Amino acid sequence: MAIDYKKELEDAARTMILVHEPDTLIKMIVRRIVKIVKVEHAGILLHHKDKDTYVLTVSRGAPGLKIPAGFARMDADNSLIRFFRERMDKRFFNDGALVYGEAKKILRKNIGSEVKKLLKGVLYQMEIFESVVCIPSYFREDLLGMLLLGAKKSGRSFAKDELDFFVALASDVAMAIRNAQLFRELELELDKKHRLFIHTTIALAAAIDAKDHYTHGHTARVTDLSLKIAKRLSQKNKKAFDEKFLEHLHIAGLLHDIGKIGISESILNKNGPLNEEEKKRMQEHPSVGATILQPIKELEDAILGVKHHHEKYDGSGYPEGLKGDQIPLSAAIISVADTFDAMVTDRPYRNGLSKKEAVQEIQSSSGRQFDPQIASVLAELFQENKI
Amino acid sequence: MAKLLIVDDEQDVREFAANFFRKRKIEVLTAAGGEEALSILEKEKVDLVLLDIKMAGIDGCETLRRIKEKDKSAKVIMVTGRKPEEEGSFDRCRQLGALDYIHKPLELDELERIVLNQLFQNKK
Repeated sequence: MAIDYKKELEDAARTMILVHEPDTLIKMIVRRIVKIVKVEHAGILLHHKDKDTYVLTVSRGAPGLKIPAGFARMDADNSLIRFFRERMDKRFFNDGALVYGEAKKILRKNIGSEVKKLLKGVLYQMEIFESVVCIPSYFREDLLGMLLLGAKKSGRSFAKDELDFFVALASDVAMAIRNAQLFRELELELDKKHRLFIHTTIALAAAIDAKDHYTHGHTARVTDLSLKIAKRLSQKNKKAFDEKFLEHLHIAGLLHDIGKIGISESILNKNGPLNEEEKKRMQEHPSVGATILQPIKELEDAILGVKHHHEKYDGSGYPEGLKGDQIPLSAAIISVADTFDAMVTDRPYRNGLSKKEAVQEIQSSSGRQFDPQIASVLAELFQENKI
Repeated sequence: MAKLLIVDDEQDVREFAANFFRKRKIEVLTAAGGEEALSILEKEKVDLVLLDIKMAGIDGCETLRRIKEKDKSAKVIMVTGRKPEEEGSFDRCRQLGALDYIHKPLELDELERIVLNQLFQNKK
């Protein structure tokens, strides 16, 4: 019974829309070819950019004929690869499929000694791979891969519609691989941009830290502890925070003291308690920080963490005197982490507390200064030696 | 007829390589691991061993050491991946007297050339 290749292609196209993972897709395509056309074996070589080599990635067929995945490769100097990269296929096989028997006939023609040599190499490669048909996959002029087909089980030669079917599949494969590559590159690019952003933020945070000699590394520690608290909190409530929340908490942690940029170093590093005027200046830093970050729309949620990290649970904090649940969660977490780190750090006018003492202090202010749930998470982490 | 022993714990690799060399008029024996290879070598005299480095059980290096212990003149070619830990094993195999090595993924023409060259020299 004749096979309706048009229908098969439409089927294949449908599959490709559903499957985005190129490896899976290529496996499916090879399986389909072996099943529909009944060849001894079929395999696909894919280009690996880093080493400029083509690796046999998928292969199906009878034992002894199918080549194990990852076992064989063709380098750029391989005759078959050169043949296709130099677009000799266009010159000799206008329909896109290199057929062993055809190639052998061409060898007898007057094609020049260089080309003859290359073609002999091609035939030799097809022989060692026991392939009778070879179909390249191009994206523009780049050879992305190659489909190798063994003889038909029936022993007959391939018909034109079968070859056309393979060529169409091979070009679909190219498109799918290309799409997947573009997608990966885009993801890498986004990732790179994101890292650039985080590192810029860290650099900014370091600039704040540098102003305040006695709190060296404070920002990094507060950020770290805030994230630990958040993760534990989500485990306890059996409710995972979305990535966005953690991301904003991360940024808010890094930038929570950015408002100190406008406070003179003589106040920040004062050897002794602050007077009323100085206290007022210090207390402005959360709202100054929020004002600095305001223009960055993408940071909206992180700004809340910066602005309110000195609010107190009972409403006696600043700048807005928010109470209990009114305080954004990120700000409440940073508040605990910030206070804890300040307590255990030596100051010009006092020695730091031990971690144990600091945890006890925070617990004793739980429900007044601190959100009780967060204070108890801190105590838990301390008991488990995690801070 | 030249005799080749292929040692690899992957069945697909054994089947493919065996088929590949049988078509080239070489008598091929296969072993799925080091132990099996050694017991084959107790009974059979082969001209060349193609030995995978990374195998479950006793690996290629250890198998090579034991082969060489019994027969110093045994000819062995190692097959190895590109992973750093395998590269490390290769240096050890060279000291143990491996003749050559082939990196996976390999070029079939290179595999053919290296193996046939060794077997051909053997016959001289």
